[in-house]
Amino acid sequence: MEAAAADPGARQMAGFKDFFQYACTTRLIAGRDLLGSTGFEFQKEGAQRIFLVTDRVIRGTGLVERVEAGIADGGLELAGIFDDVPQDSSTHVVDRCAEKAKEAGADSFLALGGGSVMDTAKVADAVFTHGGSAREQEGFLLMPRAADGMGRPDEIAPLACIPTTAGTGSEVSMAAVIKDPEEKLKIEIADFPLFPRLAILDPESTRTLPPHVAAATGMDAMTHAVEGYVSVDWNPHQDARSLQALRMIRDNLERAVEAPEDDAARGNMLVAASIAITISLGSVHAMSHPAGARFGVPHGVANAIHLPHVIRFNAEGGADIADRYRDIGEIFGLDGPEALADHVAAMVERLGLPTRLSQVGVPEEGIPTLVEGAMGDGTTLLNPREASEEDYATLYKRAL
Amino acid sequence: MPYFKDADEVYRYIGKLFEDLAVDDELAPKFRKANTIVQYRYRDPESIITVKLIEGEDGTVDCGDTSMEPEVVMSMEADTAHKFWLGKVNVTVALARGQMKAKGPVAKILKLVPLVKPVFPRYRRLLEEADRKDLLEAA
Repeated sequence: MEAAAADPGARQMAGFKDFFQYACTTRLIAGRDLLGSTGFEFQKEGAQRIFLVTDRVIRGTGLVERVEAGIADGGLELAGIFDDVPQDSSTHVVDRCAEKAKEAGADSFLALGGGSVMDTAKVADAVFTHGGSAREQEGFLLMPRAADGMGRPDEIAPLACIPTTAGTGSEVSMAAVIKDPEEKLKIEIADFPLFPRLAILDPESTRTLPPHVAAATGMDAMTHAVEGYVSVDWNPHQDARSLQALRMIRDNLERAVEAPEDDAARGNMLVAASIAITISLGSVHAMSHPAGARFGVPHGVANAIHLPHVIRFNAEGGADIADRYRDIGEIFGLDGPEALADHVAAMVERLGLPTRLSQVGVPEEGIPTLVEGAMGDGTTLLNPREASEEDYATLYKRAL
Repeated sequence: MPYFKDADEVYRYIGKLFEDLAVDDELAPKFRKANTIVQYRYRDPESIITVKLIEGEDGTVDCGDTSMEPEVVMSMEADTAHKFWLGKVNVTVALARGQMKAKGPVAKILKLVPLVKPVFPRYRRLLEEADRKDLLEAA
């Protein structure tokens, strides 16, 4: 503790922290048959003319019609629908989405989809409200504020999210990640107004989720829970969330993948993902962001591949870090970080996900560019063990 | 009361540190890997330092007015910058609290954070050589 006080850069993995910050301002409702109440609930958050953001896959499932009916049932209007969000949304898509919302005369955004859809809606809402372009939104706590940029952040238009995957947690987070196709990197935008005002978790919204997507997004949630617990930016509030999320993932992820008709497992995974999410992550995300941006590796798949390797790497960084992995291992009835890493790797295999980067199109000659991306990713600074360029090269080679 | 009495003092110490780093045989090539132009905008006192970190080019540091177009802009109080170079600021906490704000392709600058540790003693030495015990003790 004394060391932490003397050196603000020193790692502190236990005790009373010199500083931490915790916020979650999203009102969350979870349960069955909630889609029909979308309008009733969103009205409470100030919405009147809703702009619905989704993708074409979701459009084909019948979910959009059910949500539309829920909006009308609450007496609200649907100003328009934007269903042009790709798997990895881009700054161009966000700009187009914001423009369409303006043309439609919308006053609020409703995201119905996975992480890409929700992040598109969040950033489009910021562009819609404050102007500028998606690219200009990049940054941490940089949205317009009172008191010459130092006061309370200005609100954006009411935003609600109905996640159709159980993993990203974007429906209750203050962050969004969007691809910049020119720079071939993912830009991160984080500020308090990006917390959606409302999240609706209804297992009906994940009923048609293909098992491999349920598996990959579930591993994304698991990675959030693990990294949130071992990050240097850990805090007791997130500890409680991470550990409970891991219990729920332990009990529900494989059930939800193997038996998609299991509403309870799917509902619990939605809840687990919303509990697991944090912006305090680490090297797994630092490695996965460039893998997605450069080689199109789906985020959950990249996390699933990298997680066991980063657990081993971090646990060798000190007993204090290993202790944190030991806590996680106990939830799975395991003894120590090595057993946890093995367990995660076996779980990824059981879920039918790729276990190596080479299986998802990453060539060995791509490693230097991945290393560069990982070093520049903000989550690198939050990893409990400092990772050098050489360390990342080794980790990518192990994952190849 | 701010540590530095005016912009000239900021440039004399923090600006000088950047100038020294720009010609350092060991560190300059590593920093230039950022391949960007960073502008540091300080408050209390108002002061601006712009640094060119472009691979294969000489490092350039402008204190005050500049013709360089920054790609990344870092904003903070000059006191925070002073404490940072003394090794007394946790960057992730400063960013989380909004004490430091970064605008632009932040990734380019974040990868430099692990490289700055060897610079802390240099800044301390620079202040010692200038007999600015007050600045060393104030932070």
